[in-house]
Amino acid sequence: MTSSEMKAVNIMKTSLYQEFYKFSHKKITWVAPMLLLGYMALWIAYPMTRLMTMMTYDSSDAINLIVIIVGSTMFSMEFQNNTILTLIYKSSSKPTVYFNKFITIFVYDVLLHALSLAFTIVIALTIRPVAWMKVYRYNQPLIINMLSTTGIDVLTSVLIISLVFVISTMINSNAVVITASMAVVFFGEAISTDFMNLDSSLAYLFKWNPFNMTLLTLQYSNYPLYHETTLLTNLQISLGALAYMLTFLGVGYLIFRKKRF
Amino acid sequence: MLKIDHMNTFIGRKRIIKDVSFQVLPGSIVGLIGPNGAGKTTIMKTILGLTKFTGNISVENQAVTENNHAALTRVGALIEHPAIYPFLSGLENLKLYSLDEDDMNHVVSLLRMNEYINRKSKGYSLGMKQKLGIAIALLNKPQLVILDEPMNGLDIEVTILVRKIIKQYAAQGTAFLISSHVLGELQKVMTNVLLITEGQIIVDKPIDEFNQVNHKHYKLLTDDMPATEQLLSDNRISIEKEDHYLVISRNDSYKIQDFLYKNHIRLVELTPKGMSFEQAIVSLVDQQRRQSHAE
Ligand SMILES: Nc1ncnc2c1ncn2[C@@H]1O[C@H](COP(=O)(O)OP(=O)(O)OP(=O)(O)O)[C@@H](O)[C@H]1O
Ligand SMILES: [Mg+2]
Repeated sequence: MTSSEMKAVNIMKTSLYQEFYKFSHKKITWVAPMLLLGYMALWIAYPMTRLMTMMTYDSSDAINLIVIIVGSTMFSMEFQNNTILTLIYKSSSKPTVYFNKFITIFVYDVLLHALSLAFTIVIALTIRPVAWMKVYRYNQPLIINMLSTTGIDVLTSVLIISLVFVISTMINSNAVVITASMAVVFFGEAISTDFMNLDSSLAYLFKWNPFNMTLLTLQYSNYPLYHETTLLTNLQISLGALAYMLTFLGVGYLIFRKKRF
Repeated sequence: MLKIDHMNTFIGRKRIIKDVSFQVLPGSIVGLIGPNGAGKTTIMKTILGLTKFTGNISVENQAVTENNHAALTRVGALIEHPAIYPFLSGLENLKLYSLDEDDMNHVVSLLRMNEYINRKSKGYSLGMKQKLGIAIALLNKPQLVILDEPMNGLDIEVTILVRKIIKQYAAQGTAFLISSHVLGELQKVMTNVLLITEGQIIVDKPIDEFNQVNHKHYKLLTDDMPATEQLLSDNRISIEKEDHYLVISRNDSYKIQDFLYKNHIRLVELTPKGMSFEQAIVSLVDQQRRQSHAE
């Protein structure tokens, strides 16, 4: 191998390959999907089959929990194992490290959603048959409802991932960062929801807070109920979620870049 | 190979490394030596593009910056603690970086890690982890290897083995920059000494220049040491005891020989006293401290 070929291979290897390699060798990566399926199975007996199919057996909450747990250790494991220096000097630059981690968890997130789709389809084909083509919500057939919900939930979970990234670039310890991320996401959601339900005069402003955006999947599957809380349309929430996601990713990156090791 | 020109490293607003310049040539083993907090680790981190700095750093004429590490593709490093993922086996940790399986297996057997290399590294002892860290630094036939306190946690046998491996790699042209505060460890392998205190280089010399004897003092051995000691102190000649010898000043040596002769004490040995490497370093650091306090 010539030295320039070797360089190219090296950079390729150090980038995404390494991140995937580490990720796929962690136990939690494989345990979490099992737990996801277990959780979804609990909902099979639930009477509203069409709603459950559309919501892929309530996979959204479980997937969010998984990406919080798995995502928050992506940075802290590097600090705890003293691998951060090696990781950075061997990569072409700091942004590469940051965005490779994001791509890795994003791919994982998409795979989890694919898994929950597959599970839902298998259930529909076996024990809980549904009429796929019959119109259900938004004047669209159930199958489109299901696919849209999944697509929308990918956006919601990526918003949560970006929030977790901001938190985990600030905190070095595994345990603390998981706890902090869960607290921020779940309390944030709860506080936002409580506040929005107060009918406050500030709601017209407050409805744009990021936690209100995390209700996107729920609102999509049950518009009348959740719109009362969020006061935003599906499109508004989607755009808001996208904007916050980019903002959080950017802020996380700036913190990571400034960080001294 | 590695060339550093007027390098200053900043942590926050504070300048930790002050106008440092040096080179590491292919095949040389440069010992970066200095007291705790002198800045050894910081210099190494800066070379790896991990800190904010001014000045120039280049590896094989290619510049290293904080945002471009392309020049570092053939640089191996172990900084402070071995970089090991506990959920991977030793071999998997190596595979993360290895570009050549034969070379990887070669490094594993060189460091004699075959027995446990497939076990999860979570269960490794301190020394096993340290060896794995050294192995990672030696992967892919590096041009430059940077080792920060590499002998930490290694027993005597492994320390000797690692020294041997370092010499082998250097013989094939790999350049080494190795830090240590335990001088004896490096004395046996270094080709050059880089002495640093308070972020500044105070000595940059080939090791040979340290091994020269110091002719100001002589070691004295006679056939009756207690009597000699008595005699010299009666005559107010300053002496120091070292092992079986008395250490005397060169200026007193003729006078002393006279006394011995007159008192029928026979001279067994009178030789120039060499200053050990360690003493030389300590005295240099001391000198530097006194100077900087005087300023
Ligand atoms: N993150 C940091 N923040 C502030 N000061 C730092 C930081 N890292 C190092 N320093 C300071 O920089 C100086 C050099 O530290 P460095 O770790 O390079 O020393 P060293 O020579 O490697 O010491 P040792 O032999 O103890 O490993 C010290 O005075 C230390 O206090
Ligand atoms: Mg150090």
